[in-house]
Amino acid sequence: MRFATSRARARPLNAPRPALVEAHAEGTPQRVNRQGVALVREEWRVVDRWWTDVPVHRRYFDLVLESGENAVVYHDADAGAWFTQRA
Amino acid sequence: MIAAVVIPAFDLRAALRRRPAVQARPAALAPLPGTEPLVGSVTGAAEAAGVRPGMRLSEALGMCPSLELVEQDPATAEQAWEEILRRLEDSGFAVEPDRPGVVYFDSRGVERLYGGLEPALKRALAAVGTAWEPRAGAAERRFAALAAAGVARAGQSLIVSEERARAFLAPLPLQLLPLERERYEELEELGVRTIGQLAGLPGGAVAERLGPVGRRAWSLAGGEEPGERKVAPRRPAAALHETLEFPEAIGNELTLRRGLVVLLDKLLARPERAGRPPRKLALWARLIGGASWRRTVTLREPTADPERLRNALGPKLAELPAPALKLRLEVSELADHTGEQLELVAAEGAALHGRLRESLRQVRAAVGSGGVSTVVEVAPWSRIPEARALLVPRDD
Repeated sequence: MRFATSRARARPLNAPRPALVEAHAEGTPQRVNRQGVALVREEWRVVDRWWTDVPVHRRYFDLVLESGENAVVYHDADAGAWFTQRA
Repeated sequence: MIAAVVIPAFDLRAALRRRPAVQARPAALAPLPGTEPLVGSVTGAAEAAGVRPGMRLSEALGMCPSLELVEQDPATAEQAWEEILRRLEDSGFAVEPDRPGVVYFDSRGVERLYGGLEPALKRALAAVGTAWEPRAGAAERRFAALAAAGVARAGQSLIVSEERARAFLAPLPLQLLPLERERYEELEELGVRTIGQLAGLPGGAVAERLGPVGRRAWSLAGGEEPGERKVAPRRPAAALHETLEFPEAIGNELTLRRGLVVLLDKLLARPERAGRPPRKLALWARLIGGASWRRTVTLREPTADPERLRNALGPKLAELPAPALKLRLEVSELADHTGEQLELVAAEGAALHGRLRESLRQVRAAVGSGGVSTVVEVAPWSRIPEARALLVPRDD
Protein backbone atom coordinates (compact mmCIF):
# COMPACT_ATOMS: atom_id res chain seq x y z
CA MET A 1 0.00 0.00 0.00
CA ARG A 2 1.44 3.39 -0.91
CA PHE A 3 0.43 6.62 0.68
CA ALA A 4 1.15 10.16 -0.24
CA THR A 5 3.33 12.09 2.15
CA SER A 6 3.17 15.68 3.22
CA ARG A 7 5.56 18.22 4.63
CA ALA A 8 4.75 21.36 6.55
CA ARG A 9 7.12 24.26 6.17
CA ALA A 10 6.98 26.13 9.43
CA ARG A 11 7.75 29.82 9.25
CA PRO A 12 8.57 32.30 11.96
CA LEU A 13 5.75 34.29 13.46
CA ASN A 14 6.37 38.02 13.65
CA ALA A 15 9.13 38.06 11.04
CA PRO A 16 10.68 41.52 10.53
CA ARG A 17 9.57 43.61 7.55
CA PRO A 18 11.72 46.26 5.83
CA ALA A 19 10.93 49.82 6.94
CA LEU A 20 11.68 53.22 5.41
CA VAL A 21 13.47 55.11 8.16
CA GLU A 22 15.31 58.42 8.12
CA ALA A 23 17.64 58.69 11.12
CA HIS A 24 19.43 61.46 13.01
CA ALA A 25 23.21 61.51 12.99
CA GLU A 26 23.35 59.68 16.35
CA GLY A 27 21.17 56.89 14.93
CA THR A 28 17.73 57.60 16.41
CA PRO A 29 14.81 57.54 13.93
CA GLN A 30 13.53 60.88 12.65
CA ARG A 31 10.86 59.65 10.22
CA VAL A 32 9.35 56.17 9.83
CA ASN A 33 7.52 55.31 6.64
CA ARG A 34 7.28 59.05 5.83
CA GLN A 35 5.76 59.92 9.23
CA GLY A 36 7.59 62.06 11.73
CA VAL A 37 8.63 60.56 15.09
CA ALA A 38 6.95 62.32 18.02
CA LEU A 39 8.60 60.39 20.84
CA VAL A 40 11.19 57.69 21.44
CA ARG A 41 9.67 55.71 24.31
CA GLU A 42 12.39 53.16 24.73
CA GLU A 43 15.60 52.03 23.15
CA TRP A 44 17.46 48.71 23.57
CA ARG A 45 20.01 46.53 21.88
CA VAL A 46 19.86 42.83 21.05
CA VAL A 47 23.21 41.15 20.47
CA ASP A 48 22.84 37.40 20.11
CA ARG A 49 23.99 34.35 18.18
CA TRP A 50 27.43 35.86 17.75
CA TRP A 51 28.78 32.32 17.77
CA THR A 52 26.82 31.37 14.59
CA ASP A 53 27.05 32.27 10.89
CA VAL A 54 24.03 34.54 11.31
CA PRO A 55 24.80 36.79 14.25
CA VAL A 56 22.11 39.21 15.48
CA HIS A 57 23.13 42.78 16.18
CA ARG A 58 20.11 45.07 16.39
CA ARG A 59 19.26 48.44 17.91
CA TYR A 60 15.54 48.62 18.68
CA PHE A 61 13.40 51.77 19.11
CA ASP A 62 9.88 51.84 20.53
CA LEU A 63 8.34 54.95 18.98
CA VAL A 64 5.21 57.07 18.96
CA LEU A 65 4.68 58.61 15.52
CA GLU A 66 3.16 62.04 14.90
CA SER A 67 -0.07 60.34 13.85
CA GLY A 68 -0.31 58.82 17.35
CA GLU A 69 0.51 55.35 16.07
CA ASN A 70 2.93 53.13 18.01
CA ALA A 71 5.78 51.55 16.07
CA VAL A 72 8.83 49.42 16.84
CA VAL A 73 11.72 49.61 14.42
CA TYR A 74 15.26 48.36 14.58
CA HIS A 75 18.50 48.97 12.75
CA ASP A 76 20.36 45.82 11.77
CA ALA A 77 24.06 46.58 12.07
CA ASP A 78 25.09 43.65 9.86
CA ALA A 79 22.58 44.29 7.07
CA GLY A 80 22.87 48.08 7.46
CA ALA A 81 19.09 48.33 7.04
CA TRP A 82 15.96 49.24 9.02
CA PHE A 83 13.11 46.88 9.84
CA THR A 84 9.80 47.08 11.64
CA GLN A 85 8.60 44.36 14.00
CA ARG A 86 6.26 43.84 16.91
CA ALA A 87 8.60 43.44 19.87
CA MET B 1 16.08 -19.68 -9.03
CA ILE B 2 16.90 -17.39 -6.15
CA ALA B 3 18.37 -14.03 -7.10
CA ALA B 4 20.39 -11.74 -4.83
CA VAL B 5 21.10 -8.07 -5.41
CA VAL B 6 24.01 -6.67 -3.42
CA ILE B 7 25.17 -3.08 -2.89
CA PRO B 8 28.65 -3.24 -1.35
CA ALA B 9 29.32 -0.81 1.51
CA PHE B 10 25.71 0.34 1.38
CA ASP B 11 25.80 2.20 4.71
CA LEU B 12 28.81 4.24 3.59
CA ARG B 13 27.32 4.98 0.17
CA ALA B 14 24.12 6.17 1.87
CA ALA B 15 26.08 8.40 4.25
CA LEU B 16 27.92 9.87 1.24
CA ARG B 17 24.78 10.41 -0.80
CA ARG B 18 25.10 14.17 -0.49
CA ARG B 19 28.87 14.15 -0.96
CA PRO B 20 29.43 11.71 -3.84
CA ALA B 21 32.90 13.18 -4.51
CA VAL B 22 34.19 11.56 -1.28
CA GLN B 23 33.38 8.14 -2.78
CA ALA B 24 36.48 8.49 -4.98
CA ARG B 25 38.74 9.33 -2.01
CA PRO B 26 39.97 7.09 0.83
CA ALA B 27 37.09 7.20 3.33
CA ALA B 28 35.58 4.94 5.95
CA LEU B 29 32.53 4.93 8.19
CA ALA B 30 33.46 6.24 11.62
CA PRO B 31 32.56 4.12 14.65
CA LEU B 32 29.53 5.20 16.66
CA PRO B 33 30.35 7.17 19.81
CA GLY B 34 30.76 4.87 22.78
CA THR B 35 31.42 1.77 20.68
CA GLU B 36 34.65 -0.07 19.95
CA PRO B 37 36.88 2.12 17.71
CA LEU B 38 36.59 -0.03 14.59
CA VAL B 39 36.06 1.43 11.12
CA GLY B 40 32.94 0.42 9.20
CA SER B 41 32.56 0.10 5.44
CA VAL B 42 35.34 1.61 3.32
CA THR B 43 35.58 3.12 -0.16
CA GLY B 44 37.50 1.46 -2.99
CA ALA B 45 40.31 4.01 -2.62
CA ALA B 46 40.64 3.21 1.10
CA GLU B 47 40.66 -0.51 0.36
CA ALA B 48 43.41 0.05 -2.18
CA ALA B 49 45.40 1.79 0.58
CA GLY B 50 45.08 -1.32 2.76
CA VAL B 51 42.18 -0.26 5.00
CA ARG B 52 39.68 -3.07 5.70
CA PRO B 53 36.25 -2.89 7.34
CA GLY B 54 36.44 -3.86 11.01
CA MET B 55 40.04 -2.61 11.32
CA ARG B 56 41.00 -0.64 14.44
CA LEU B 57 40.75 3.10 13.85
CA SER B 58 44.36 3.76 14.87
CA GLU B 59 45.59 0.99 12.57
CA ALA B 60 43.49 2.30 9.67
CA LEU B 61 44.77 5.86 10.13
CA GLY B 62 48.33 4.55 10.39
CA MET B 63 47.84 2.65 7.15
CA CYS B 64 46.23 5.60 5.34
CA PRO B 65 46.83 9.01 7.03
CA SER B 66 44.58 10.78 4.50
CA LEU B 67 41.62 8.54 5.45
CA GLU B 68 38.41 10.57 5.81
CA LEU B 69 36.06 9.41 8.53
CA VAL B 70 32.40 9.67 7.58
CA GLU B 71 29.78 10.03 10.28
CA GLN B 72 27.18 7.26 10.25
CA ASP B 73 23.76 8.31 8.96
CA PRO B 74 21.39 5.44 9.82
CA ALA B 75 18.22 7.38 9.03
CA THR B 76 19.37 8.30 5.51
CA ALA B 77 20.52 4.72 4.96
CA GLU B 78 17.17 3.36 6.08
CA GLN B 79 15.30 5.82 3.89
CA ALA B 80 17.48 5.11 0.84
CA TRP B 81 17.11 1.37 1.37
CA GLU B 82 13.35 1.69 1.56
CA GLU B 83 13.34 3.70 -1.69
CA ILE B 84 15.39 0.97 -3.41
CA LEU B 85 13.07 -1.78 -2.17
CA ARG B 86 10.09 0.15 -3.43
CA ARG B 87 11.64 0.68 -6.85
CA LEU B 88 12.24 -3.08 -7.04
CA GLU B 89 8.67 -3.78 -5.97
CA ASP B 90 7.37 -1.29 -8.51
CA SER B 91 9.24 -3.26 -11.17
CA GLY B 92 7.44 -6.41 -10.10
CA PHE B 93 10.05 -8.05 -7.84
CA ALA B 94 8.64 -9.53 -4.63
CA VAL B 95 11.66 -8.81 -2.47
CA GLU B 96 12.88 -10.20 0.83
CA PRO B 97 15.37 -7.74 2.31
CA ASP B 98 18.13 -9.50 4.24
CA ARG B 99 19.99 -6.46 5.56
CA PRO B 100 20.56 -2.98 4.10
CA GLY B 101 22.46 -3.61 0.88
CA VAL B 102 21.36 -7.23 0.37
CA VAL B 103 18.00 -8.31 -1.01
CA TYR B 104 16.67 -11.60 -2.38
CA PHE B 105 13.81 -12.43 -4.72
CA ASP B 106 12.50 -15.50 -6.44
CA SER B 107 13.17 -15.15 -10.16
CA ARG B 108 10.43 -17.56 -11.29
CA GLY B 109 7.67 -15.00 -11.19
CA VAL B 110 9.52 -12.32 -13.11
CA GLU B 111 11.36 -14.40 -15.72
CA ARG B 112 8.24 -14.58 -17.83
CA LEU B 113 7.59 -10.87 -17.33
CA TYR B 114 11.00 -9.79 -18.60
CA GLY B 115 11.70 -12.64 -21.07
CA GLY B 116 14.24 -14.64 -19.12
CA LEU B 117 16.45 -14.64 -16.05
CA GLU B 118 19.19 -12.42 -17.40
CA PRO B 119 16.86 -9.61 -18.57
CA ALA B 120 15.07 -9.84 -15.21
CA LEU B 121 18.34 -9.38 -13.31
CA LYS B 122 19.23 -6.50 -15.63
CA ARG B 123 15.89 -4.91 -14.87
CA ALA B 124 16.45 -5.37 -11.12
CA LEU B 125 19.86 -3.67 -11.36
CA ALA B 126 18.32 -0.80 -13.31
CA ALA B 127 15.58 -0.47 -10.67
CA VAL B 128 18.19 -0.14 -7.93
CA GLY B 129 20.00 2.59 -9.91
CA THR B 130 23.50 2.72 -11.36
CA ALA B 131 24.66 5.25 -8.77
CA TRP B 132 24.58 2.50 -6.12
CA GLU B 133 26.77 0.20 -8.27
CA PRO B 134 24.63 -2.87 -7.52
CA ARG B 135 25.56 -6.43 -8.51
CA ALA B 136 23.24 -9.38 -9.01
CA GLY B 137 23.65 -13.10 -8.69
CA ALA B 138 21.31 -16.03 -9.24
CA ALA B 139 21.54 -19.66 -8.21
CA GLU B 140 19.36 -22.45 -6.88
CA ARG B 141 20.46 -21.66 -3.33
CA ARG B 142 20.66 -18.44 -1.41
CA PHE B 143 24.31 -18.59 -0.46
CA ALA B 144 25.46 -19.37 -4.00
CA ALA B 145 23.31 -16.47 -5.28
CA LEU B 146 24.82 -14.15 -2.66
CA ALA B 147 28.34 -15.31 -3.49
CA ALA B 148 27.66 -14.83 -7.22
CA ALA B 149 26.45 -11.26 -6.55
CA GLY B 150 29.49 -10.73 -4.32
CA VAL B 151 31.95 -11.50 -7.10
CA ALA B 152 30.02 -9.90 -10.00
CA ARG B 153 31.24 -6.51 -11.17
CA ALA B 154 29.26 -3.31 -10.62
CA GLY B 155 26.13 -3.28 -12.77
CA GLN B 156 26.69 -6.91 -13.85
CA SER B 157 24.96 -10.17 -13.00
CA LEU B 158 26.26 -13.69 -12.63
CA ILE B 159 24.16 -16.83 -12.92
CA VAL B 160 25.42 -20.06 -11.36
CA SER B 161 23.72 -23.34 -12.26
CA GLU B 162 23.22 -26.02 -9.60
CA GLU B 163 25.80 -28.32 -11.24
CA ARG B 164 28.45 -25.60 -11.26
CA ALA B 165 27.68 -24.24 -7.78
CA ARG B 166 30.28 -26.30 -5.88
CA ALA B 167 33.03 -25.61 -8.41
CA PHE B 168 32.08 -21.93 -8.49
CA LEU B 169 32.24 -21.57 -4.71
CA ALA B 170 35.49 -23.50 -4.24
CA PRO B 171 38.06 -20.78 -5.13
CA LEU B 172 36.16 -17.94 -3.43
CA PRO B 173 37.52 -16.38 -0.21
CA LEU B 174 36.21 -17.46 3.18
CA GLN B 175 35.01 -13.93 3.93
CA LEU B 176 31.86 -14.61 1.91
CA LEU B 177 30.72 -17.09 4.57
CA PRO B 178 28.62 -15.82 7.50
CA LEU B 179 31.34 -16.21 10.14
CA GLU B 180 32.76 -13.94 12.80
CA ARG B 181 36.05 -12.21 12.14
CA GLU B 182 37.85 -14.34 14.76
CA ARG B 183 36.68 -17.51 13.04
CA TYR B 184 38.13 -16.41 9.67
CA GLU B 185 41.40 -15.65 11.39
CA GLU B 186 41.34 -19.02 13.14
CA LEU B 187 40.74 -20.79 9.85
CA GLU B 188 43.40 -18.74 8.07
CA GLU B 189 45.90 -19.69 10.75
CA LEU B 190 45.08 -23.30 9.98
CA GLY B 191 45.83 -22.63 6.30
CA VAL B 192 42.19 -22.62 5.18
CA ARG B 193 41.72 -19.64 2.90
CA THR B 194 39.07 -20.61 0.38
CA ILE B 195 35.55 -21.96 0.56
CA GLY B 196 36.69 -25.09 -1.31
CA GLN B 197 39.37 -25.81 1.28
CA LEU B 198 36.80 -25.57 4.07
CA ALA B 199 34.38 -27.83 2.17
CA GLY B 200 37.19 -30.37 1.82
CA LEU B 201 37.54 -30.76 5.61
CA PRO B 202 35.53 -33.39 7.51
CA GLY B 203 32.26 -31.87 8.74
CA GLY B 204 32.58 -33.37 12.21
CA ALA B 205 36.03 -31.87 12.75
CA VAL B 206 34.83 -28.42 11.66
CA ALA B 207 31.84 -28.65 14.03
CA GLU B 208 34.10 -29.70 16.89
CA ARG B 209 36.51 -26.82 16.32
CA LEU B 210 34.12 -24.01 15.33
CA GLY B 211 30.78 -25.08 16.78
CA PRO B 212 27.38 -25.00 15.09
CA VAL B 213 28.15 -21.74 13.23
CA GLY B 214 31.22 -23.38 11.70
CA ARG B 215 29.21 -26.49 10.81
CA ARG B 216 26.69 -24.32 9.00
CA ALA B 217 29.46 -22.48 7.15
CA TRP B 218 30.92 -25.86 6.17
CA SER B 219 27.54 -26.95 4.76
CA LEU B 220 27.24 -23.71 2.81
CA ALA B 221 30.76 -24.15 1.48
CA GLY B 222 29.74 -27.58 0.21
CA GLY B 223 26.84 -26.12 -1.74
CA GLU B 224 24.21 -27.26 0.77
CA GLU B 225 21.96 -24.98 2.68
CA PRO B 226 20.84 -26.31 6.04
CA GLY B 227 17.35 -25.18 6.95
CA GLU B 228 16.98 -23.49 3.60
CA ARG B 229 13.71 -21.73 3.11
CA LYS B 230 11.96 -20.14 0.21
CA VAL B 231 12.14 -16.41 -0.41
CA ALA B 232 9.49 -14.79 1.77
CA PRO B 233 8.58 -11.45 0.19
CA ARG B 234 8.00 -8.64 2.63
CA ARG B 235 4.74 -6.85 3.04
CA PRO B 236 5.40 -3.30 1.78
CA ALA B 237 5.24 -0.87 4.66
CA ALA B 238 2.72 1.92 4.64
CA ALA B 239 4.70 5.13 4.37
CA LEU B 240 2.61 7.66 6.13
CA HIS B 241 4.61 10.50 7.53
CA GLU B 242 4.59 14.16 8.42
CA THR B 243 7.61 16.44 8.63
CA LEU B 244 8.18 19.68 10.45
CA GLU B 245 11.08 21.86 9.35
CA PHE B 246 12.33 24.39 11.87
CA PRO B 247 13.80 27.67 10.67
CA GLU B 248 16.65 27.10 13.13
CA ALA B 249 17.95 24.18 15.18
CA ILE B 250 15.78 23.35 18.19
CA GLY B 251 17.30 21.61 21.19
CA ASN B 252 14.71 22.43 23.81
CA GLU B 253 12.70 19.34 24.72
CA LEU B 254 9.56 21.30 25.51
CA THR B 255 9.61 22.89 22.05
CA LEU B 256 10.23 19.53 20.39
CA ARG B 257 7.31 18.06 22.30
CA ARG B 258 5.13 20.87 20.97
CA GLY B 259 6.32 20.03 17.47
CA LEU B 260 5.45 16.40 18.12
CA VAL B 261 1.90 17.37 19.10
CA VAL B 262 1.46 19.19 15.77
CA LEU B 263 2.87 16.23 13.84
CA LEU B 264 0.62 13.77 15.68
CA ASP B 265 -2.48 15.85 15.01
CA LYS B 266 -1.65 16.10 11.32
CA LEU B 267 -0.78 12.42 10.99
CA LEU B 268 -3.90 11.21 12.76
CA ALA B 269 -6.02 13.42 10.52
CA ARG B 270 -4.67 11.84 7.32
CA PRO B 271 -7.48 10.17 5.37
CA GLU B 272 -5.18 7.34 4.18
CA ARG B 273 -5.25 5.95 7.69
CA ALA B 274 -8.91 5.05 7.12
CA GLY B 275 -9.58 4.94 10.84
CA ARG B 276 -6.90 2.30 11.54
CA PRO B 277 -4.80 2.99 14.62
CA PRO B 278 -0.98 3.04 14.35
CA ARG B 279 0.82 -0.01 15.71
CA LYS B 280 4.41 1.06 15.07
CA LEU B 281 5.74 4.60 14.77
CA ALA B 282 9.14 6.12 14.18
CA LEU B 283 10.51 9.50 15.18
CA TRP B 284 13.21 10.86 12.92
CA ALA B 285 15.26 14.02 13.20
CA ARG B 286 17.84 15.75 11.04
CA LEU B 287 20.36 17.14 13.48
CA ILE B 288 22.45 20.27 13.30
CA GLY B 289 25.68 19.37 11.52
CA GLY B 290 23.91 16.99 9.11
CA ALA B 291 23.68 13.81 11.20
CA SER B 292 20.38 12.03 11.68
CA TRP B 293 18.59 10.33 14.56
CA ARG B 294 15.79 7.79 14.61
CA ARG B 295 13.81 5.92 17.25
CA THR B 296 11.08 3.36 16.66
CA VAL B 297 8.19 2.76 19.04
CA THR B 298 5.97 -0.30 18.84
CA LEU B 299 2.77 0.10 20.81
CA ARG B 300 1.60 -2.73 23.02
CA GLU B 301 -1.90 -1.96 21.86
CA PRO B 302 -2.54 -0.03 18.62
CA THR B 303 -4.19 3.28 19.37
CA ALA B 304 -5.16 6.52 17.68
CA ASP B 305 -5.54 8.34 20.98
CA PRO B 306 -3.29 11.42 20.67
CA GLU B 307 -2.58 11.54 24.38
CA ARG B 308 -1.43 7.92 24.57
CA LEU B 309 0.70 8.39 21.48
CA ARG B 310 2.21 11.54 22.98
CA ASN B 311 3.05 9.63 26.14
CA ALA B 312 4.68 6.86 24.14
CA LEU B 313 6.72 9.10 21.83
CA GLY B 314 7.44 12.16 23.97
CA PRO B 315 10.14 10.62 26.20
CA LYS B 316 12.13 9.61 23.11
CA LEU B 317 12.77 13.28 22.36
CA ALA B 318 14.90 13.52 25.49
CA GLU B 319 17.34 11.12 23.80
CA LEU B 320 18.09 13.54 20.95
CA PRO B 321 21.87 13.98 20.98
CA ALA B 322 21.89 17.43 19.33
CA PRO B 323 19.48 20.22 18.30
CA ALA B 324 17.16 19.24 15.44
CA LEU B 325 16.51 21.08 12.19
CA LYS B 326 13.74 18.74 11.08
CA LEU B 327 11.43 16.43 12.95
CA ARG B 328 9.50 13.67 11.21
CA LEU B 329 6.90 11.29 12.52
CA GLU B 330 6.30 8.13 10.52
CA VAL B 331 3.68 5.44 10.85
CA SER B 332 5.61 2.28 10.05
CA GLU B 333 2.67 -0.03 10.55
CA LEU B 334 -1.06 0.38 10.91
CA ALA B 335 -3.30 -2.11 12.65
CA ASP B 336 -5.64 -4.00 10.35
CA HIS B 337 -8.73 -3.34 12.42
CA THR B 338 -10.59 -0.12 12.95
CA GLY B 339 -12.69 -1.42 15.79
CA GLU B 340 -12.24 0.39 19.04
CA GLN B 341 -14.80 0.61 21.77
CA LEU B 342 -16.95 3.65 21.07
CA GLU B 343 -18.11 5.96 23.80
CA LEU B 344 -21.77 5.90 24.72
CA VAL B 345 -21.78 9.60 25.48
CA ALA B 346 -19.73 11.95 23.30
CA ALA B 347 -16.87 13.59 25.17
CA GLU B 348 -17.35 17.10 26.40
CA GLY B 349 -16.48 19.60 23.70
CA ALA B 350 -16.85 17.09 20.87
CA ALA B 351 -19.62 19.09 19.19
CA LEU B 352 -17.63 22.31 19.51
CA HIS B 353 -14.56 20.60 18.16
CA GLY B 354 -16.57 19.35 15.18
CA ARG B 355 -17.90 22.85 14.45
CA LEU B 356 -14.40 24.28 14.68
CA ARG B 357 -13.07 21.69 12.23
CA GLU B 358 -15.87 22.48 9.80
CA SER B 359 -15.14 26.22 10.04
CA LEU B 360 -11.47 25.61 9.37
CA ARG B 361 -12.36 23.42 6.42
CA GLN B 362 -14.40 26.30 4.99
CA VAL B 363 -11.55 28.77 5.49
CA ARG B 364 -9.18 26.41 3.70
CA ALA B 365 -11.65 25.98 0.87
CA ALA B 366 -11.89 29.76 0.55
CA VAL B 367 -8.22 30.72 0.73
CA GLY B 368 -6.50 27.52 -0.34
CA SER B 369 -3.87 25.25 1.14
CA GLY B 370 -1.75 26.88 3.83
CA GLY B 371 -4.54 29.27 4.77
CA VAL B 372 -4.84 27.84 8.27
CA SER B 373 -1.87 27.65 10.57
CA THR B 374 -1.18 26.79 14.19
CA VAL B 375 1.04 28.96 16.35
CA VAL B 376 3.64 26.80 18.08
CA GLU B 377 5.68 28.53 20.76
CA VAL B 378 9.26 27.43 20.39
CA ALA B 379 11.32 29.81 22.48
CA PRO B 380 9.05 32.32 24.26
CA TRP B 381 12.02 33.53 26.30
CA SER B 382 14.06 34.52 23.23
CA ARG B 383 15.26 38.11 22.89
CA ILE B 384 14.76 37.81 19.13
CA PRO B 385 11.01 38.31 18.51
CA GLU B 386 10.76 36.12 15.39
CA ALA B 387 12.43 33.19 17.21
CA ARG B 388 9.69 32.97 19.83
CA ALA B 389 6.97 31.22 17.84
CA LEU B 390 6.40 29.39 14.56
CA LEU B 391 3.44 29.27 12.20
CA VAL B 392 2.84 25.67 11.18
CA PRO B 393 0.40 25.15 8.27
CA ARG B 394 -2.57 22.90 9.03
CA ASP B 395 -4.04 21.16 6.02
CA ASP B 396 -5.89 18.41 7.92
